[in-house]
Amino acid sequence: MSEVTIYIDGQEYRVPANTNLVDVAKFYADNDIPVFCYHPKMAPVGMCRMCLVKMGSVEKNRETGEVVTDENGNPKIRWFPKLQTACTQTVYDGLAIITNSEEVQVARDDIIEFILTSHPLDCPICDKGGECPLQNLTMRHGPGQSVFYYEDKMHLDKHVPLGELIYLDRERCIQCARCTRFCDELVGDDVLAFHERGRRLQIVTISDPPFDTKFSGNTTDICPVGALTTADFRFGARPWELKEVPSLDPYGPEGANISLSTRLDRDAGGRIVIKRVMPRQNEYVNEIWISDKTRFGHHHTRSDERLTKPLIRQNGQLAEASWEEAYQVITDRLRAAKSLGVIAGPNQSNEDLWELKQLASHVENHHLGVFPATMSGGDIVNTVGVGVGTNFLDLKKGDVIVVVASDLEEEAPIWYLRTKVARDRGVKLVLLNARPTKLSKYAKYNLTYAYGDAVSAINSLISAVIGAGKINDEILSRVDGYDELAKSVKKPAYTNFTEAAEAIGDAQNMIVLAGSEGLTLAQQRELMQACANLLIVTGHVGRPNNGLIPVWHGANIQGAYDLGFTAEATEAIYQESLDVVLVAGCNPVGEVVEAEALQNANFVVVTSLFETETTAIADVVLPRQSFAERDGTFTSGERRVQRFYTAQGVIGESLPDWRIFAEIHYRLGGPKPKLSAGAVMAEINKAVPSYAEMRYKKLAEMPRQFPDVGGEDLYYGGTAYQNRGGIGQQTPTVAEDPEARLSVRPVEAMTPKFDGLVVIPTTLLYDRGVLFRRSTLMHQRIPAPHIVINPEDAEAQGITDGDTVAIVVEGHRYEVQVKIDKTLPRGAVLMPRRLSNRPDPSVPTVLESIEKIVQPVPVTEG
Amino acid sequence: MENILLRNRTIPEIGTFETYLEHGGWEAFKKAFSMSPDEVIQEVLNSNLRGRGGAGFSTGRKWSFIPKDAERKYVVVNADESEPGTFKDRELLEFNAQQVIEGAMIAAYAIQATAVYIYFRGEFWDIAHNFEQEIAKAREANLIGQNILGGDWSCEFYTHLGAGAYICGEESAMLNSLQGLLGQPRVKPPFPVMKGGGLYYEPTVVNNVETLANVPWIIVNGADAYRAIGTPESPGPKIFCLSGHIAKAGNYEIPLGTTFRELLYDLAGGPQHEGKGFKALLPSGASGPVIPLTEDMMDTPMTYESLVELGSVLGSASFIVMEEGTDMVWAAYKMAQFFKHESCGKCTPCREGTYWLNQLMTRIISGQGTMRDLEILENAATQMQGKSLCALGEFATSPILGTLKHYRAEFEAYVNGEKQKELPASKTVAVAH
Repeated sequence: MSEVTIYIDGQEYRVPANTNLVDVAKFYADNDIPVFCYHPKMAPVGMCRMCLVKMGSVEKNRETGEVVTDENGNPKIRWFPKLQTACTQTVYDGLAIITNSEEVQVARDDIIEFILTSHPLDCPICDKGGECPLQNLTMRHGPGQSVFYYEDKMHLDKHVPLGELIYLDRERCIQCARCTRFCDELVGDDVLAFHERGRRLQIVTISDPPFDTKFSGNTTDICPVGALTTADFRFGARPWELKEVPSLDPYGPEGANISLSTRLDRDAGGRIVIKRVMPRQNEYVNEIWISDKTRFGHHHTRSDERLTKPLIRQNGQLAEASWEEAYQVITDRLRAAKSLGVIAGPNQSNEDLWELKQLASHVENHHLGVFPATMSGGDIVNTVGVGVGTNFLDLKKGDVIVVVASDLEEEAPIWYLRTKVARDRGVKLVLLNARPTKLSKYAKYNLTYAYGDAVSAINSLISAVIGAGKINDEILSRVDGYDELAKSVKKPAYTNFTEAAEAIGDAQNMIVLAGSEGLTLAQQRELMQACANLLIVTGHVGRPNNGLIPVWHGANIQGAYDLGFTAEATEAIYQESLDVVLVAGCNPVGEVVEAEALQNANFVVVTSLFETETTAIADVVLPRQSFAERDGTFTSGERRVQRFYTAQGVIGESLPDWRIFAEIHYRLGGPKPKLSAGAVMAEINKAVPSYAEMRYKKLAEMPRQFPDVGGEDLYYGGTAYQNRGGIGQQTPTVAEDPEARLSVRPVEAMTPKFDGLVVIPTTLLYDRGVLFRRSTLMHQRIPAPHIVINPEDAEAQGITDGDTVAIVVEGHRYEVQVKIDKTLPRGAVLMPRRLSNRPDPSVPTVLESIEKIVQPVPVTEG
Repeated sequence: MENILLRNRTIPEIGTFETYLEHGGWEAFKKAFSMSPDEVIQEVLNSNLRGRGGAGFSTGRKWSFIPKDAERKYVVVNADESEPGTFKDRELLEFNAQQVIEGAMIAAYAIQATAVYIYFRGEFWDIAHNFEQEIAKAREANLIGQNILGGDWSCEFYTHLGAGAYICGEESAMLNSLQGLLGQPRVKPPFPVMKGGGLYYEPTVVNNVETLANVPWIIVNGADAYRAIGTPESPGPKIFCLSGHIAKAGNYEIPLGTTFRELLYDLAGGPQHEGKGFKALLPSGASGPVIPLTEDMMDTPMTYESLVELGSVLGSASFIVMEEGTDMVWAAYKMAQFFKHESCGKCTPCREGTYWLNQLMTRIISGQGTMRDLEILENAATQMQGKSLCALGEFATSPILGTLKHYRAEFEAYVNGEKQKELPASKTVAVAH
């Protein structure tokens, strides 16, 4: 990166070119230029005028380009007559500013005074009090005495709900437009706007439903005053009472870094509880953003419905027992087990998985399954996954992001956001899907295929790349199987992909995000291989900002694959009648119809936070701990291994899964349980080559990040952005070893032939999953069970939008609402997962029947 | 002197395409079309025509800033005439529409624009409708639209109506409004002529209606002839809008450099009421400092430079004249109200400052102010200076500071309890306690 010389208060600094003056002053000169409207993640607007500085340019000799100096040897500077806003200034060579003169100080004092003319002084009851940029800057620049010897403030509404999640205090708003710009410019959701003008200028929500974005909570973080607060936290605690504990999003594959703000709480019986969830800065992962699911989905951690004691089935009923009794029953049964199926849930930590694997190895005939079993190919990811050091922020103009078979906004909102913002920087987005998604309008190339045909689509793309002469010849010397691959794609199913193929071939960097929508597990695995083929032959592997990212349906599916668990094993467990089944932290029986077969197992052990359909068939139920009560590591889809830390007190007698499995294993003759999760990781470091460097200490390393938004700053935002937990570490991929051979192979499309309508299971962000549904605040955002259908198909079936219908799929009957979507291809009936209290089909399945339910006329009481 | 701009005064139907043609209309455009675009820019540059919207920037220079290689470029005609006391563009638009259209098309040719937009203030509904018809006639004659006059260049001409906001007269707020965004000014640079700063972020020339009305005459008669009118620094004719306490209010087209006396006495007949003298002048509507209108200055020629020397600005030359006996505090109060109402709210000093100034002025005018209020008033207005995002925040301070400077005693009469005005309940504010 090229550097330029700038002068701040007479001091010379070398700083990166094309960076923002405010960011640079803070990072390189430790000079906090105060701001309200400016935010380092958004384009500057120069509205609040708080950042006024004296600005000028160094005089240079026109011929030599040398800096002209005065008699003292200091550079001569030509100053602007008026103060200038620092936030709208990109640094250039010879830029000079003065921030400590009286003129500048007075200007700052003046602006603060103006802002305070209409800002209420209700800091004692304001949620932002204690971490408020305006409060802080008032302490520094405020006059100390008011000239308002009369009551002159404008009074406005103080509790305006912008939807059910966020409240607006119109008096406190200082019209900085950070919230509207975040929604409009970054996320792309046009949901907030200014209304009126002048002093009456105010924020309104313009969407229906109100504030309709999956990122609304972030506006409360970037709000520089207490104008926007969350329904979850408002009036809940004071910031200085809170202890920030670094943690991770327990839901998504992105590995979003969060901070759990905890305190001892009277309402929780004096226990330590999570009062709110804040983003924790990790520029590699989620920057400073989290989805509303991550922010508001934490209530399961302290739900009254949590299991507190082990349960053992006696006379058909589950009855409370001690841990020792439970261990006894389990070990007795496992000693005699003929076969064992293990199903690991989506947020089993690496330590849990490791101990689970050790335990399972006790039974010779065992399967290590992962849940949900929607996607495969973790091993492929370990070959061609994104290179170490990958950062979406580094993708530049001309680079390419490919998204295939995924509705990214619903399945991985942080990747959606980062993809969308990358596209705004000029990254070309290539979208392959059977239907339009919210990302479609940002795509440079929308390549549509028929449902189930994703592999053909990628094959066609490879064919077009070959046709355009864009194969990376350099890499072919270390690739096996290229000729067979080239031969296999000679007759592409789709012939209009040339432009996209050229963009891919010309891109310096390319990331492929591969999902699973509309695919069977076998097809999905082939899709992963097809994506690997594409990445390899175009040379987009083995280096940062290139490679494959799987859109897993869970926080640690990658870790499960890394430690030997697979979705294929889960299918086998469903299909084979196994003697013993151990389900760790998930609810297959309640979620997928195939898992009903687990009832046939002779003995079922379940670790769980709650009673579920799966615990209902268990012989022993063990209370596990949520992510908030223990520590551990998750591995994200980008293969970043990251730590989460113990935040709250233990609920009942629950234990971390790794401990449970280690105790059982110990009783079966295994080693003594480790004393900490860190000690378990030390074992993994030794046993798993790709995890050799993933030591806890290393994962906790915390380099200074740019822009510097955490910590003591007066202006950027909430203090909770600060990252004290580390930024984690990516596991290396095979492709990064220059000696390693890479193989491509032809993949078969395996496109199924269906007659009639096919139910396609899809994944929504907000569903009635076991954990998320405990956050009652979010219930309005969880849609009712429904199907989405093309209008022509609907007409043929005699149904219309809003109808309630009964559908039958593989003998299972569902009552669902009908939503019509004209963008959906004919023949496909989308059925989002986990919206009802019934298990759903997990793969595309023929719709057997659809029948309108005649609604009973509501009876009105006389 | 023959009118160059207000030709409707002598040729009643000049605003229609047919009559305009009969009187040499569109000859200038055809002549320009026979020249190269650069020659057209050079001619306008040589004429030293200065923008009539208020800033007085060289029109030719502005045109020359447009990057030649830009794929899309626009001309936007600023017809959002909303400065209090300004009604010069309105007469041109109402009665001499074709000359404005022709001037805009010459500008469009000079920068090889892809389209021209004219942004009318919302109240110009009838004018906009008439414009549509006049544009259609020119389009039919192949002067607008596809392959103009049989050449390669195509340029469409669109009309747009604002929704009633003073700030949309500020060029970047107008561009936002044209794009369907909130009418708030943009940070400059990038300026509208630059890539990223104009309409749809493409290079754009924004010119005032009166400025463009000058252009056809310059092309036909040449820059030298134009510079012969007015003064070297401020050449050409200028329309002065006279309102307030003046015997004959209205628009006066006179060469720049005419003296105050010639305009105010010889042409406009002096003060409105016999026996009263002039007291004060707002030379640029509400947005320039008020100056005492004294006998000493009557023989000063009116140019962009001379008004600055007098401590004010020529701006759009909308003279609001006040004669003896005018309550200057009341006048300042009305202007404080105006700016409080029209501040867009984007930047802090203007949004909060205009509100605060209005609160203070309301208290003072209703007889409840104190000497301390005067002090705060002066401080608050001074505090706004040099800090706002656009010029509106700057303008808002000038009526207050100008009046305080020249008529402080009148303020003191209000805070000393000698004077007060009854205000309707809706206009009153909280008072000292």
